[in-house]
Amino acid sequence: MIFGFLKPTQMSPRLHRLKNSALFSTLTPLELKIVDGLLHERRYLKDEIVFDEGEEGQALYLLMSGRVRISRLHEGMTQVVAELEPGGFFGDLALLDNTPRNAQARAIEPCEMAVFFRADFLGLMETDAVIGYKISLALARHIGRRLREWMGTGRPQLEAL
Amino acid sequence: MNNGERAGPVVWTGIIAATCLLLLVVKQLLWLALPFIFGTVLHYILLGPMQRMVRAGYGRNAAALLVCLLFFALASLALAAALSWNDGPEEESWEKTIGLYLDGGVAFVHNTMTLLEARFPVLAEMHLTSSVNKAFRTYTDNFAQEHLGEILVGVATWIPSLLLAPFLTFFFLRDGLRFKRFLARAVPNAYFERSLYLLHEVDQTARRYFEGLLKLTVLDTAVLALGLWTIGVSSPLLLGLISAVLAWVPFVGSVAGCVLVVIVASTDAPSNPFVAYGAIGVFVLVRLLDDFVFMPLTLGRSLRVHPLVTVLMIFVGGALAGVVGLMLVLPLLGVVMVIGETLGRLVTNPRLRARHRYARALRTRQASVDLDIARERRGAPTPNAEQAAK
Repeated sequence: MIFGFLKPTQMSPRLHRLKNSALFSTLTPLELKIVDGLLHERRYLKDEIVFDEGEEGQALYLLMSGRVRISRLHEGMTQVVAELEPGGFFGDLALLDNTPRNAQARAIEPCEMAVFFRADFLGLMETDAVIGYKISLALARHIGRRLREWMGTGRPQLEAL
Repeated sequence: MNNGERAGPVVWTGIIAATCLLLLVVKQLLWLALPFIFGTVLHYILLGPMQRMVRAGYGRNAAALLVCLLFFALASLALAAALSWNDGPEEESWEKTIGLYLDGGVAFVHNTMTLLEARFPVLAEMHLTSSVNKAFRTYTDNFAQEHLGEILVGVATWIPSLLLAPFLTFFFLRDGLRFKRFLARAVPNAYFERSLYLLHEVDQTARRYFEGLLKLTVLDTAVLALGLWTIGVSSPLLLGLISAVLAWVPFVGSVAGCVLVVIVASTDAPSNPFVAYGAIGVFVLVRLLDDFVFMPLTLGRSLRVHPLVTVLMIFVGGALAGVVGLMLVLPLLGVVMVIGETLGRLVTNPRLRARHRYARALRTRQASVDLDIARERRGAPTPNAEQAAK
């Protein structure tokens, strides 16, 4: 037990699924295990709302199975912004700041999600800077990609959350 | 989370009522309350080192165990060093040492009374010294019959329950995160994010309070030890530490700490009562510094409660649960306040309640997808039953 740190960390199927997400793809098995210890599991039924537009955002959602539709109200009409597949994540801006959600997320299939609470992420940045910077870099790349897409297409902010 | 939205009078009445109720429960479960407090304090001290060990590749079990073992080994060594490093009066046995210090305390009271009578003749006319001596004698003569048995039974009851503290610390460290996830799992999806925030705030409130208390103890110990060392009292660091820990209990703890310091000072210099007066001066100075400088810097920031409510609740805590009530009323009030304010916001949010009702309806519909309840009530066979019959 005392020399357990010498053993390589085994990757469970759940850790493999986390590794497949762009957010955690750069983490080592040990780092993934630490992050997994902080994630909460949630299950949503088809049509169930994950969060509303304008709600205070406190967490990032990582889609493990099922599909989620992101939509927002634009001039009184519901505008579909994106539909996310397993491995995708949303609510990422809530991880960086405390601003309200700027779109609604609704399950369009029964979904299983891993939820990363903002305070846990900030705590991780303090206690484990390496994991913190890897996740922050992945988030920055994700937001940068969105920005490039928006500049290229002139469309409103994709997956804006 | 929007903190600008403050709770109303109904929520605050509930918060105060819940705090009082918890204090009464604590009073009944005193044997568990103290080890629980020590366990919580140690958990917050050891959490950082344990997280570093987990990061180094240790399992949570091994990391919690190693951190606890290391801490208790170091604490035992420090205690042994403090006990052996004694520059006070030497005696053959600890019973004699205790007797010596008690005699020193009694002699200090006697000398002070004599000095006061010499300075103020009106006190001599009132026979102050003989009255105090009589009261002392009455108390000490009956001490063995009236109190010694109670004290010994109390010690025999408390020592096993205090041994719970290391076990609680270990399990708090190992399973704290798991317990938080377990609690969060019970929350419906609609309230999930806000409940996570609530759990986090409760944890932060308790952590801020106990970390503040630890910082305050370190500051008090250092300043008191410096003051006592300056006037030449023996074992200043150990005395400072004991007094600072006793000060965890508002009012009563400070008085007990002061009495302890005076007893040691008067025993160290029996012929010079001014050392003991100096010790009282140092103690009062440290208490003033503590109340007006250290406490606002440490504990004051931990609980965002109005000062008037804080003072009133300390009295209520003392009246309801005695010394432990005095000690626990503020952290309990802080935690109940966070829970009450957040729950108040959750249950009064119409959109969250509507979402929760909708999710429940979805679950009911999913659970009864192949069940025609109306048809069943009419007594007609359900489609599944018809299919089975075919």
